[in-house]
Amino acid sequence: MPIPCEFEYHKPKSLPQAVEILSRNGKNAAVLAGGTDLLVWMKEGLRAPSAVVDVKGIPELHRLEMSEDSLLVGACVTFTELLESAVVRLRFPLLWECSRTVASVGVRNRATLVGNICSAVPCLDSAPALLAYEASVVVHGPVARRQIPVAQWFLGVRQTAIRPGEIVTGVSIPQPDRKNGGCYVKLGRYRGEDLAQVGVGVLALEGCEYRIAFCAVAPAPARAERIERLLYGCDLSDGLIHRAQDLVSQEIHPITDIRASQEYRMHMAKIMLERGLRAAVARMLGGGPELGESVI
Amino acid sequence: MTELEPLVRAPLDTKVVGHSAQRIDGWEKVTGAARFADDLEFGPGLLHACIVESPHAHARILNIDTRAAEKLPGVVRVITGKDFPYRFGLYMQDRHIFAQDRVRFVGEQVAAVIACDPRTAARAAALVQVEYEPLPAVLDAVQAMEPDATLLHPGLGAYEHVPWFFPRAATNIAHWRKIRKGSVEDGFREADVVLEDTYRVPRYAHCAIEPHSMTGLFDAAGRLTVWSASQSPFTQRHLFAQALSPLGLSHKDVRVVTPYVGGGFGGKAGVSCEILAAALATAVPGQPVKVMWSRAQEFYNTYQRQGVVAKLKLGVKRDGSITALQHQLYWDAGAYVEYGANVVNAVGLSATGPYRIDNVSIDSVCVYTNLPPGGPYRGFGYSEFFFGLESHINRAAQAINMDPVAFRRKNAIREGDTLAYGAHMNPNGLQEAIDRTAAAIGWGTRQQSEDPHKAIGKSLVLFWKAPAMPPNASSSAFLKFNEDGSLNILISGMEIGQGLLTAMAQIASEILTVPVSKIRVETPDTDRNPYEWQTVASHVTWGCGNAVKNAATDAREQIFALVERACGIDKDSLYLEDEKVKSRFRAGWELPLRDFVISGIQVPDNTFKGGPIMGRGMFMPEFSSAVSDPETGQGGHPNVHYTTGAGGIVIEIDRQTGKTTVLKAVLAVDVGKAINPDLINGQITGGLLQGLATALYEDMRFDENGRLLNPNFSDYKIPTALDIPGEVIPIIIETAQPDGPFGARGMGEHTMIPAAAMVANAIEDAVGVRLHSMPLTAEKIALA
Amino acid sequence: MKKVPIRFRLNGIDRELDVEPADTLLEVLRDRLGVKSPKTGCDHGDCGTCTVFLDGRTARSCLVLAAEADGCDIVTLEGISRDPSPLMHQLAKHNSFQCGFCAPGVVLSATELLRANPHPTRREIQEAIAGNLCRCTGYTPILEGIEAAIEAAAIEAATIETTAAERSLP
Repeated sequence: MPIPCEFEYHKPKSLPQAVEILSRNGKNAAVLAGGTDLLVWMKEGLRAPSAVVDVKGIPELHRLEMSEDSLLVGACVTFTELLESAVVRLRFPLLWECSRTVASVGVRNRATLVGNICSAVPCLDSAPALLAYEASVVVHGPVARRQIPVAQWFLGVRQTAIRPGEIVTGVSIPQPDRKNGGCYVKLGRYRGEDLAQVGVGVLALEGCEYRIAFCAVAPAPARAERIERLLYGCDLSDGLIHRAQDLVSQEIHPITDIRASQEYRMHMAKIMLERGLRAAVARMLGGGPELGESVI
Repeated sequence: MTELEPLVRAPLDTKVVGHSAQRIDGWEKVTGAARFADDLEFGPGLLHACIVESPHAHARILNIDTRAAEKLPGVVRVITGKDFPYRFGLYMQDRHIFAQDRVRFVGEQVAAVIACDPRTAARAAALVQVEYEPLPAVLDAVQAMEPDATLLHPGLGAYEHVPWFFPRAATNIAHWRKIRKGSVEDGFREADVVLEDTYRVPRYAHCAIEPHSMTGLFDAAGRLTVWSASQSPFTQRHLFAQALSPLGLSHKDVRVVTPYVGGGFGGKAGVSCEILAAALATAVPGQPVKVMWSRAQEFYNTYQRQGVVAKLKLGVKRDGSITALQHQLYWDAGAYVEYGANVVNAVGLSATGPYRIDNVSIDSVCVYTNLPPGGPYRGFGYSEFFFGLESHINRAAQAINMDPVAFRRKNAIREGDTLAYGAHMNPNGLQEAIDRTAAAIGWGTRQQSEDPHKAIGKSLVLFWKAPAMPPNASSSAFLKFNEDGSLNILISGMEIGQGLLTAMAQIASEILTVPVSKIRVETPDTDRNPYEWQTVASHVTWGCGNAVKNAATDAREQIFALVERACGIDKDSLYLEDEKVKSRFRAGWELPLRDFVISGIQVPDNTFKGGPIMGRGMFMPEFSSAVSDPETGQGGHPNVHYTTGAGGIVIEIDRQTGKTTVLKAVLAVDVGKAINPDLINGQITGGLLQGLATALYEDMRFDENGRLLNPNFSDYKIPTALDIPGEVIPIIIETAQPDGPFGARGMGEHTMIPAAAMVANAIEDAVGVRLHSMPLTAEKIALA
Repeated sequence: MKKVPIRFRLNGIDRELDVEPADTLLEVLRDRLGVKSPKTGCDHGDCGTCTVFLDGRTARSCLVLAAEADGCDIVTLEGISRDPSPLMHQLAKHNSFQCGFCAPGVVLSATELLRANPHPTRREIQEAIAGNLCRCTGYTPILEGIEAAIEAAAIEAATIETTAAERSLP
């Protein structure tokens, strides 16, 4: 099935060049990194850009490196590169775990973290981890460079804080300053690759701080601030967890669609919160399950 | 022509048959050398077609304006229904090549653009303007049966059909198969417990990984050739010739070539979209035109597995005997039922399951709906009805406090028992299947999960199926030797993955002692290969196997007759061993096949006797008949034989989430004789997973306008390598089929048939939840 | 629209081509270069039949624009089949495939896995081929074929080690 739209293909060699092309074409331009979302949308007629800007020729976008206690993930860094990085696996295990749930090996070899957050589909897997780590999105435009906290990045279904002419050059993820453990629990219809029907990322930090973020249960992924406030400073008792579960219905607004019903999503979100919390704490203490998906 | 050799009841030790030979097409497939229909090259002159489809489930076509499309550079022709006002159909002629005055499902083909490249064809197709007048759509089979329902086929009464169909003119009922045996009223009166309930099964998609692909060429000499991914080259040829007969085409001038098929499962049987390549080719003589189905079209415009609402009523006595069964099945058969009506028929004959029941009433009703056409899907209606039946059997056993396995043992059908339609049951190893399956799942021992959230459940169910074929479905084979003693076998049975070519090579090898590695089995070209009805119904191992066996035997007899004539040795003393002719009367004497199978045998006067040895074999069951009493279904021998078996499962369910993990899946099937045990295990492993998927997460959804909501793999989930059961245990049972090659009977479909019921019963065993509708998702279990 | 000239290496041979911006790599491989092992199974990256090696890693060629292949090294099953690997022999020996349509994608995914990890667990093998849909086999015969290849390689490596060790003995 051929791609129906017609477009100019650009491959800029530098960031200023890329920004210039994007500014010139405004909303008619699409950035191409991994292509695993963009090509599907073009085939389905959901996007019909007149200019496709392949940014893989810009060296600085391929950076994956620590810089002063923050991990910089460039726009062209793929999920496979994240999974192969010892730094990511050891220091950002929640990001590592959610990366493993994205699609399949052949897709992860091309798909990028930045592409994932730019798609801003409600179910995107990388969001809970980035929210829990309090990452920020680095954006270059014709005039200025901005750094936007992830919590302010997702504005709604397929809507981000990006402006026409701008390009996301990377994501900056600060390393937690204390001992921590994380767990990403993803609800799918079976064990194979699936778009999350509910996703919850939990980061447990020494000193009883818990950061919790949901995806696929609201127009945009978000932290569960009420639950975090409830749990802050406390050890997790059964009673406390049940009170946290009672707050879930205030934190999320799932819908019924072809993948799952609102009722089941709400039901599962509560279970996943509990099991995710216990797994995150166990991992912080050196144990816990090998795979987040085995938790449900 | 030779008669079937008399069968030795317990086959003698065979050297090739019964062993797991390496597939003869294996290396081709591993190296990527294997060619599928979409891989064929037709040169730079190849044209491409794009189909214009109906957005309405039911509508009158008022006007089609093709002018804008025709003007686009690169467009060769634009076709509408007016160009091909011809009907076709396998068992009933109710379908058109292109919609005529109305459309009957979302996605139905209305027009086509033929262009120089696929992009232009797609752009032009978008420019074709069709004016519709929407009509009320009927999306539910039961509603479609109501007296005031919109009529989908006002012309039903005039449709040609096979004599064993009973359509009701002026209704949406395309076929009503009735079975009335004994008296269910008496049977229910006799019963101690009568259990009644309704079960629902939605539609499912085949999801062969290869989409349909077809190319047609109508050359300047009036010869039509179609290359297609198909299970049925000869049936396609026949239907193309029939449908296009107004063009004056004789069968001899229609040729169908079918390379390897990337999975069929019934979806590539008969004729669905392939006729478009045939028809469109005639519109552009001299130029090949290709029609390639997208994945979305695979979902919404190829055969689908029909949905069914099944009402069961079962009477049982406290001693465990079944006294009566009433089984009413209302099939959502879709907009055209030319193939699907036979699914309904097949179920009607067999919806008792493999049980001994004296009083039976079955109504299997084929109902038109404004949804895509239903058609053959692995299991041919049996997977659908066994969900309800085997669920109900379990509940009946529970109602009289009897162990469900013991209940099945007691009521299982035996050789010679009378079937629902009056004929008699063939030899079968059902009891052995039950025993071995029960042992494999540890029936009788309750297992506890290590995880406090989870519960383990088990179940065992029975299954059977007979090939659903016309009574005169036949197979034939040619076999020819080459100079080095190697063999080419020409059949028209299709290699759709099941390993048919290998099994046929093994059969020929057994008779002629030529090793499998020296045998090629050619994929069909209807010009060169002899007739095969279709590769469906799990019948080709049996039917085509008999034909190949006959061809090999024919060749062997020619060899012995020639040796007798040329060498003066009594042919009754001759035998074959290691590719040589030997004689029981002459130790040490041998004549290698390669020495004479092309060149003949040189005799003392320096002349040659004989010449190329070619074998010919054919098989058609001459005992099968499909005509029966329309009101009772009694009479005839519509099913050649049944393959039986049992399935067992051990599952673990998380009580909170409802998620089900299959720890162990077992399937025992009586194949008569396993020609190649590895291939049988392959069918069991693959079929079980396909069946488990329909039970657990495959889910076809339509909206209120009849549009398919999930025509893609993102939302119609088929199993990945991560979804396999913890353990799969195949069990091969061999109770010989008297008229099968070496005692073999088919089993390809059977391996998915018991899956849904196995899961449903095991879920109830684990967590006490009884689900009446498929799929049996985590959501349904958790929220029950 | 302006065509894009691309230069790339395909199965060891340097190629040059002009492509439309909207051409996918899969279309160009199949329809212009006669490379048929990558298949059009779904065209949306869901089934894995279009898998090729792109700069040493598997990629879904239906989701790669041909233009992106400029400067890249592409290897398909045709390239690997010139020197069939022990993995391929074991897959054939174990009757791992039935219809064979998923085979090219599976062989490439498994090849990628074994190059990076000669001793994967079963779970790791499953994950490596989880993006390759197969409707026929139920996957177990494929897993067994891959595991047989791993075992055969281990035996061969041990034999080589033993032989080397024996040679170095006085």
